[in-house]
Amino acid sequence: MPLRLAILLVGLFTLVSLVSLAASYAFTQSSFEQSIRADLRQDLAGFRAAPNASAVALLVEAESREADPNRLILSYISPSGRIYGNGAIARSDEGFQIISLDKERAQYAGAYLSLTDTLYGGLITVARSRAEINALGAVFFNILLLSLLPTVLIALGGGLVLARRSKRHVEVVSRALERMTGGDLGARVVIGPRWSDDLREIGGKVNQMADAQDQATQALRQVSSDIAHDLKTPLQRVALYLDDLERHQEDAARREELLGRSREEVAQMGQVFQALLQLARVEARGARDRFERVDLSATAATLVEMFEPTAAARAQSLRAEIAEGLTVMGDRALLGQMLSNLIENALRHAPEGSDILVRLVREAGAAVLEVVDNGPGIPEAERARVRQRLYRLDRSRNTPGHGLGLSLVDAIVSLHGATLRLEENDPGLRARVLFPA
Amino acid sequence: MKLLVVEDDETTGTYIARGLREEGHAVDLVSDGRSGLIEATSNPYDVLILDRMLPEVDGLTLLKTLRAAGNHTPALLLTAMGDVEDRIEGLQAGADDYLAKPFVFGELAARVAALARRPQSQEAETVLRALDLEMNLITRQVTRAGQVIDLLPREFALLEHMLRRKGRVQTRTMLLESVWDISFDPGTNVVETHISRLRAKVDRPFDRELIQTVRGAGYRVVA
Repeated sequence: MPLRLAILLVGLFTLVSLVSLAASYAFTQSSFEQSIRADLRQDLAGFRAAPNASAVALLVEAESREADPNRLILSYISPSGRIYGNGAIARSDEGFQIISLDKERAQYAGAYLSLTDTLYGGLITVARSRAEINALGAVFFNILLLSLLPTVLIALGGGLVLARRSKRHVEVVSRALERMTGGDLGARVVIGPRWSDDLREIGGKVNQMADAQDQATQALRQVSSDIAHDLKTPLQRVALYLDDLERHQEDAARREELLGRSREEVAQMGQVFQALLQLARVEARGARDRFERVDLSATAATLVEMFEPTAAARAQSLRAEIAEGLTVMGDRALLGQMLSNLIENALRHAPEGSDILVRLVREAGAAVLEVVDNGPGIPEAERARVRQRLYRLDRSRNTPGHGLGLSLVDAIVSLHGATLRLEENDPGLRARVLFPA
Repeated sequence: MKLLVVEDDETTGTYIARGLREEGHAVDLVSDGRSGLIEATSNPYDVLILDRMLPEVDGLTLLKTLRAAGNHTPALLLTAMGDVEDRIEGLQAGADDYLAKPFVFGELAARVAALARRPQSQEAETVLRALDLEMNLITRQVTRAGQVIDLLPREFALLEHMLRRKGRVQTRTMLLESVWDISFDPGTNVVETHISRLRAKVDRPFDRELIQTVRGAGYRVVA
């Protein structure tokens, strides 16, 4: 690419230089000619100043003796037919020529501009050589040779060097990409100090993409191992209960208890799978095709009313401050799931007697949904991590839940183009969902 | 009732069939979509129970073919891991109800019973009764043994739903769908707390229990 560009620019530069050189050559040439013609006219005028033919002849003789016939030719043919001067115009088959007046009648080489006029019955001729004008051609040729040619060569050479360098840099990027494609997620583009700006940008973007990919893969690995770990525990418990059941078949009460516990563990495993699958579906973003206008006010009111008895059973108060008629574009079931997860989180992690508020307001033309509690909150340092799958605060290890609730909330929020903010409520947590206007 | 179960997993299939037979139904079990289609078109069934993923002809295609042929036998679609999208797709294909695996047998039995009776009892009643409880749908007054009981609007709706399906089990998810119009799982025991509130008003002050808990399935109002 740089080579092609260099060639193009050099071609353009050469063309423009040649055209301007030719133009100035033509201009200089014509002004030279004009000045020679003016000289000739002036010469003739000088001879006209002589009073008679013999005076003209004397003047021509005198001046032609001084003049270099290669530069200036003077001749006067008197009314009596005598020729004075240092040359004459002769006409041959090849056109006009200038010849010497000595015996050889030698022909002068080179082109001349001449002016002939009648004077006192005779014929006066003045001719000046065009040698200077011809020399001009050589001067211009030299200019061409000395200035344009080196410029063209340097530009072409530079373009070639740049092209080769840029090819090397592109190869660095493409090698890194090949390694990544081949599975080496650690491969990165090493950007050199002399890289061009656009290649730097591409290299940087490739590295960003590789970082994101790397992180995603690591997260996936982490999630897989977390899932395996999360499911190992309930499986182990069910295995124990079944074992126990076999040994206590006659004890009806014991049997019922073990069956109940096994059922709960299995249900819990089912919930983990269900939540993971739902998370994957939400993240695949297929639901966007089904978006419709959802009455968020109505959904929020229904859910608050639905959870109110659960809160009351824990001596918690669940209150609602819901602005009427707020709607957003979205998936009704997912939005309900999101709010229900937020309310459930608050109910579960805030202690007995705490206050939970579900607030839906319009701020700057956009819907803002908040679930605020005055429980223990989430420490600043942990706020980013609680959005990760299966992550649970240490103190929550023994409360029910699978650590997927907030991940799902986060995924649903971003599916709707909204933002989830987890803020300090001093004390407690203020979970804010900011919908786009 | 005469039921057809189309399920390719042998363990699940025989388990469902055995359970439904124990409930007193006549059950045919086949394990692929093609046989399912043949059975369903050649016998008059009350309810079809179809797995979604089947060899040869999958559950959705089977259902669409049946509906296109004018067969409107109520159908319950079973699928691995419920999800809103699957649900919508299933209902669009002509399923009357939808159940996600893993499910407990009680849920399946309750839904099959609900499906079989769906077309009935559409007459406009003005008073619903169970034991000594009366619900007047016009004055919206509920009395039991002559005493007026104050119910919140949602409690009224919940009781009305169960009274209309007197004697039949209503599962947690069925109640969420019908009473709250919620198609996702809110996780905690929200239905249980609403039921226990309702019980505190309509049951606790009286001698006989009106709302019964059916273990592993749900709730029912005594017939």
